[in-house]
Amino acid sequence: MSAVLEVKDLKMYYSTKQGMVKAADGISFTVNQGESMGLVGESGCGKTSVSMSIMRLLAENAKIVGGQILFKGQDIVKLKEEEMNKIRWAGIAMIFQAAMNSLNPVYRVGDQIIEAILAHEPDVTFEEARERVAELYKLVGLDPKRMDNYPHEYSGGMKQRAVIAMSLACNPDLIIADEPTTALDVIVQDMILKELSKIQKKLNMSMIYISHDIAVIAEVAEKIAIMYSGKIVELSDAVTIFKKPAHPYTVGLMSSFPSIHGEKKKLVTIPGEPPNLLNAPDHCRFAPRCPFATKECWEKTPPYEEIEPNHYVACFHPQNLRKQVSING
Amino acid sequence: MLKYVGKRLIQILILLVIYIAVIFFLLHAMPGGIKAMLTMNPNLTPQAREAILHAFGLDKSLWIQFLTYLKNVFTLNLGISFSFYPTPVWNIIAERLPRTILLFTTATLVSFFIGFSSGKSLAWKRGKASEYVATVIGVITYTVFTPLLIFVFIWFFGAYLGIMPINQFLNPDLWLKTNFTAQTIFLYLLLTISLVGAAMLAAFAVARKVSHKVKTRKIIFYTATAISSAFAVFWWAVSPYGIYGADILWHMVLPVLTVAVVSYAGTMLVMRDSMLETIKEDFITTARAKGLPDKVVRDKHAARTAMLPVITNFVLSMGFVVSGGVITESLFSWPGMGMTLLNATLGKDYPLASGALIFTGIFVLFAHLVVDIIYAFLDPRIRY
Ligand SMILES: Nc1ncnc2c1ncn2[C@@H]1O[C@H](COP(=O)(O)OP(=O)(O)OP(=O)(O)O)[C@@H](O)[C@H]1O
Ligand SMILES: [Mg+2]
Repeated sequence: MSAVLEVKDLKMYYSTKQGMVKAADGISFTVNQGESMGLVGESGCGKTSVSMSIMRLLAENAKIVGGQILFKGQDIVKLKEEEMNKIRWAGIAMIFQAAMNSLNPVYRVGDQIIEAILAHEPDVTFEEARERVAELYKLVGLDPKRMDNYPHEYSGGMKQRAVIAMSLACNPDLIIADEPTTALDVIVQDMILKELSKIQKKLNMSMIYISHDIAVIAEVAEKIAIMYSGKIVELSDAVTIFKKPAHPYTVGLMSSFPSIHGEKKKLVTIPGEPPNLLNAPDHCRFAPRCPFATKECWEKTPPYEEIEPNHYVACFHPQNLRKQVSING
Repeated sequence: MLKYVGKRLIQILILLVIYIAVIFFLLHAMPGGIKAMLTMNPNLTPQAREAILHAFGLDKSLWIQFLTYLKNVFTLNLGISFSFYPTPVWNIIAERLPRTILLFTTATLVSFFIGFSSGKSLAWKRGKASEYVATVIGVITYTVFTPLLIFVFIWFFGAYLGIMPINQFLNPDLWLKTNFTAQTIFLYLLLTISLVGAAMLAAFAVARKVSHKVKTRKIIFYTATAISSAFAVFWWAVSPYGIYGADILWHMVLPVLTVAVVSYAGTMLVMRDSMLETIKEDFITTARAKGLPDKVVRDKHAARTAMLPVITNFVLSMGFVVSGGVITESLFSWPGMGMTLLNATLGKDYPLASGALIFTGIFVLFAHLVVDIIYAFLDPRIRY
């Protein structure tokens, strides 16, 4: 299995009047060919910042200050804008958090997809592109006749599907789906996610699902990265994350969200304030909310280590937690 | 689309009737109005007074008078001008309206085009020195008192540099020995411009049909434009009218410049703001993510969407531009509707003044309609 995307120690900061916002502070992960990864964390922990860094679509005040993003072995951090444009959509496509507003209101939806195809494959004729869009529409469960409608003539769910069709248009190696279904009701959300997952497996694409809801991610991702305050605190395959979570935050996340297919769990929220990324502290960022925090946790940042094969954790006391969980469970 | 245009047409007709009513009743309510003016002479006998009122229909009730007036307006029977007696008002207007239309359309297109593209670029590349310079200039020209601007132009180009004609519609010495009127030449000019415009429009439509590639479309459009303009210039150059046409155009430069400068800043500032807002929209991020070249994102996605509020603003500022136009025409002695309106009002030429007012109104309403239709073409959300 070859790696499609390797992110190594990525640091992306926003400079603001109040200081540096370290939205991505030493992020590392790998996504292999055909693999789906989930990136989970509370709102504001820097998930979108990571995906925008990968697309190199940064805000004016944002800067990648360190690390590498290897796409099929090539470091895209250093690429010129024109070269990056070739990778965008054809190599890495994206389904945006605000899918509802991702379509330009003045152009026909089909034309906006065709535009992407023609931009990357100049040899394709307009008619061929139209045919491909029709195929994509069928794939995502839309009536191809609706291609010639404008976005305002679509319902929210249809827009969502159209945006998914658009992300597939150039046959990308990797799709980043940033909370692709937040604006929809739970049932449609579930359905679309499952379809997306099916398409991903069928086309053998790599996928990064981003969500604040670990239950949603659990349905579709083989591998899960837990993000807290600009850092990945735990990363492993989905089974391990659920069966043997090693970071207290992961446990907190799982108990704070009810499962959709619910044997009803008690809803426990993680106590304490969500972290402030502005001028983040040097010690473990979860310490203020951690029930297991010791003196050490308040002094140093825990290293991000592989505690067992393919299970990475950034915590001084992962073992403590295990004991705790097994006592309770 | 047709339904939409039809609806707008009906609305505009209703507006027009209201507008005519306002003019009519204002004329009657005015102290020293028509009735008083006709019967002012103290030597008139009561019988003569009656006869005069009867002859002009002024003894009828105000409503009957209004309906008669309305009917006359719609049949273009606007009466006879006092100051150009015995020329009917309609003939004067038919002669002068095209001049105003040409002046305004040219100035508007020029200012819209420049305002649109400068506002667009300023928003796209923020924080450069050019942004501050352009914004300051924009605010100055936006707030400047039009007559002051005209005096500056007249002084600078006409007196100081001495390169531009500063009044008149044409150079009288040149026209002394001709056997055709300026109006003929003027209408030919207008016809040429309309033909070139129509050719450009047709080329645009054809290009859209023929190809889906932006490059090919551009090539078709620009070649067609170049060929038709070259053809027009060639025709004028070889025809004996060439020099006269050029004379009129040359006299048009300063008035056009003035109206363009007055309306430019509004377009530029609104476009800049609208563009800055649009850039933040998610679909712009999507367009970037699709790997489209920077220029395509800017023009096809950002500017195309950002121009909608600019057009709305343009409609709202139309009254302002027209009043600026009256001043401009008068100060440059450009014999169009604005100057006619001013002179007729000053000369108490009621039929001409009200006729000019009505047709200025019709012109503005018609311009609204055109802009509305363009808007509907540009924004699919309104079309239905
Ligand atoms: N342009 C910006 N300038 C300064 N700070 C920013 C900017 N954009 C985002 N941030 C900050 O960076 C942090 C991470 O934001 P980001 O959008 O990546 O979070 P997220 O995990 O995607 O959240 P959500 O789940 O709500 O989408 C937040 O604290 C946010 O306030
Ligand atoms: Mg986000």
